[in-house]
Amino acid sequence: MRLFNAVRGGLSAGHPVSGTAALTGGAFVVIALLVLVPLANIAVELISDAGLEAVWDVFAGRIAENMLWRPLANTFAIGFAVALACVALGGVLAWLVTMTDLPLRRWIGVLAALPFMIPTFAVALAWTVVFADDRLGVDAAGMLVHLGVPVPAWLAWGGVPVALALIAHLYAIAYLMIASALVTVGRDLTAAAEIAGASRTRILRAIVFPVVTPSLIAAGALCFAEAVSSFSAPAILGLPVRFHTLATRAYGAIETGSPERGYVLITVMVVTAALFLALAAVLQRRGQSFATIGAQGGRRGRMALGRWRWPLAVAALSTVAATTILPTLVLLLSSVSTASGNPFATLTTHYWIGAADPAVAQGQAGILNNPQLVRATLVTLGVGLATGIAALAAALVVGLAIGRLRGGFLAGTLQQLAFLPLLIPGLAIGAACIGFYGAPIGPLPSLYGTPAILVIAGVAATLPFAVQSVVAARAQIAPTLEDSARVTGASPPRILAAITLPLALPKLIAGFVLVFVKMVRDLDLVILLYTPQLPLLTVIAFRYASDGFAQFAHAVTVVILLVSVLAHLAATGLGRAAQPWLRD
Amino acid sequence: MEPAIRLTGLTKRYGDHAALDGIDLTIERGDFCVLLGPSGCGKSTLLRLLAGLEPPTSGRIELNGARVADVAAGVAVPPGPRDLGMVFQGYALWPHKTVAGNIGWPLQVAGLDAAARRARVSAVAALLEVDAYLDRYPGTLSGGQQQRVAIARCIAPEPGLLLLDEPLSNLDAQLRVEMRAELLRVHRETGATVVHVTHDQVEALTMASRIVVMNRGRIEQCDAPQAILDAPKTAFVAGFLGNPPANLVTAHPDPFWHIAGVALRSPPVAGWGQPVRLMVRPERVVLHREAGQHRLPGRFIEALPLGGRRLVSVAGPFGRISAIAADWPASRYGDPVHVELPADPDAVFAADGQRIA
Ligand SMILES: Nc1ncnc2c1ncn2[C@@H]1O[C@H](COP(=O)(O)OP(=O)(O)OP(=O)(O)O)[C@@H](O)[C@H]1O
Ligand SMILES: [Mg+2]
Repeated sequence: MRLFNAVRGGLSAGHPVSGTAALTGGAFVVIALLVLVPLANIAVELISDAGLEAVWDVFAGRIAENMLWRPLANTFAIGFAVALACVALGGVLAWLVTMTDLPLRRWIGVLAALPFMIPTFAVALAWTVVFADDRLGVDAAGMLVHLGVPVPAWLAWGGVPVALALIAHLYAIAYLMIASALVTVGRDLTAAAEIAGASRTRILRAIVFPVVTPSLIAAGALCFAEAVSSFSAPAILGLPVRFHTLATRAYGAIETGSPERGYVLITVMVVTAALFLALAAVLQRRGQSFATIGAQGGRRGRMALGRWRWPLAVAALSTVAATTILPTLVLLLSSVSTASGNPFATLTTHYWIGAADPAVAQGQAGILNNPQLVRATLVTLGVGLATGIAALAAALVVGLAIGRLRGGFLAGTLQQLAFLPLLIPGLAIGAACIGFYGAPIGPLPSLYGTPAILVIAGVAATLPFAVQSVVAARAQIAPTLEDSARVTGASPPRILAAITLPLALPKLIAGFVLVFVKMVRDLDLVILLYTPQLPLLTVIAFRYASDGFAQFAHAVTVVILLVSVLAHLAATGLGRAAQPWLRD
Repeated sequence: MEPAIRLTGLTKRYGDHAALDGIDLTIERGDFCVLLGPSGCGKSTLLRLLAGLEPPTSGRIELNGARVADVAAGVAVPPGPRDLGMVFQGYALWPHKTVAGNIGWPLQVAGLDAAARRARVSAVAALLEVDAYLDRYPGTLSGGQQQRVAIARCIAPEPGLLLLDEPLSNLDAQLRVEMRAELLRVHRETGATVVHVTHDQVEALTMASRIVVMNRGRIEQCDAPQAILDAPKTAFVAGFLGNPPANLVTAHPDPFWHIAGVALRSPPVAGWGQPVRLMVRPERVVLHREAGQHRLPGRFIEALPLGGRRLVSVAGPFGRISAIAADWPASRYGDPVHVELPADPDAVFAADGQRIA
């Protein structure tokens, strides 16, 4: 009944219903339109005749082996490898930074979060510059081949490089999650155990592991889910040798005119990722009782690394550099080289600013001279900005409704639903949006080929992050700050404008920039939604790469990285400007 | 004239827990009323209900004769029109506004023009001696300065009712004494009714024209400070207030009236067959080194110098008793002491805490 009232409140603004009911109704409508209905639409497609036939084909037909089972095995292998490696790498880094006397640990701690800013496809492209063999032609071969170092096939293409590219991006997430759990291990606690004479391994086993196990599980599950859903890494590093994952198979099926088969594969992806995250949630809850041990211990009792201090610091720094600076430099270098992977080639600015010349790259002008690229940059920025604003608006409705409901069943449901897109691969959200918004709905025209569908898909995919930033922004504002404003007799909108919003602004800006950057550098989500009239930087980079225009692809990728970094810097500056009261 | 506040059957439940349990209370205009009680007894909840920040579960609130909350009649007036100001437990200053902004914003909401606002802000800031910090942000002020700003913000619109929730709790002892005087000055100069919440009985006894003692969501007693001290209505009030607090000792009626086996000189109440609690002020307790009739044997715990005399604590099967002795020879922990209580206790309470004599 409450739900009914709430929904009615959201739909008929004329009725005298409370603000909470209207907000709640609005929140449910937002989530339904963005996520639930498009996904349900896929399910509906699947139970049509064509859909059921596709289910049969994919699971049991002649093509099942190639279409489903082998890609599924590949996907799982990559998922497990990535999850294990990320937890190990991120965990060791987190331990070194938070618990030991590693030199430069403060710097390493900041830098270790950076790989998250380098998208997988950038790492994948950089990989080809170094490791590609000559099977795609001598021009496409990588530096090692040119230097005369033989590159085994398994290192050049396929599962191993795909997994490595994903690890290079995702270990930063694992690091962040595990480090924040480790910080709560009271250092006094470990110091107390040390004084009690426990050995180091014993301390690790008895105190540190139980406390961080939930975060290890969560990090592993998240990395698994992300790896399983990734499209760009296997597309760049797998397709040239017909190495397929579910994502590339789904993309192929949809692009070649059998969308139902694609939907079946996408459903398998969603279910796989969801199963693992659910399993992780269960395991985590079992481990939760330990997590309360945490305390804000003092700064004492860092574990001494002895003569391993410097070697470990160098190893940590190299890892971080190899996953951030190195790929960026490699791409930059390649984009100014007449032969992408050839270290002996001459340098050229052609791919950046050159005029069209029939002798080079089939007459393509440098990217800064190419009107299509300029347009793509503007479209990408525009779509990023619009998505950021729309995602924040949607998240405000959802987040404020969650806040107003103050716990309870409805708030829990809203929260779960808002986080649902985390379980859904970007490719699947793109497919769902095409399926639903790509066709006319009643009097509304099809949105296919318009920026609107990109923004809708972007908002759907980034809703969890936006909602999280709104919820965090609210949580940090003490309720009495709003109470003291209510006592003055100010109206709720006035309190929102004068008190709540200014205080929430820094977190909201951070949320906005996160959404913006995700959108600017995303490929998985937009690869199906893209049309030539609506060029996006990532898709153009991907197309250039698949068509063999490596330098163009790399130049565009460098532009994307630049935009991401600038957005981050701007966010930091804006965040500071929005809080004059924190300045001395 | 209608009273400033009249509460009738006011109840607030959070789930099964009654934070306020049937409060009836009347506070006259211009009173400085202090709400006193242990942590979690519902003081803040009462203020929040008065302010209209939360609705009661049942009951009625009238301010200056106007019903502002009446669950049965469906009346619920929001905070704005109630004409009150509130200082919150943690001050709740808006961190993104300067001191001037904090004091001025409620005036802006009230519709004052810029000139009037400026004048009022500087007047109030001068009154509370924060005029030197008008351009600073709250985060850069000390605890005592923040608190003055909070009070300035609260009184700037000249509300008829001030609700102060432990405004002095975060201050050091000296600043607390200064701020007490300051609050009383503000009260005198504005003539507003004040409801002031505190844990601190010295604060209550020095500032209040009326003290309301609360316990577990109920009012134990509401009286002038001296009346509360002289004639506590319940055992809780007797044990909670007073410096040092009065002794409460349990006496049993059978087979004869006794305390832990030691016979009383006379029955504390006539015709009562249940155990009772006797209230005896420390200054009326006499301590002896030797045993004797009607003396309770106990052991020395500690002696605290108190204005030229000593407050001596003794423990025994009767519990703990403190006595004020003009002089007490050096003793060691555990030395035997014999306690003599007066024949007539200062008050007698039934087991449920109600006073019976
Ligand atoms: N929003 C709430 N939800 C549930 N219980 C609450 C809530 N607010 C207060 N309570 C409970 O109501 C009781 C009274 O709380 P209140 O804050 O009024 O106590 P108080 O007398 O102000 O205590 P203190 O002196 O510690 O500030 C407490 O038991 C508290 O746990
Ligand atoms: Mg309180």
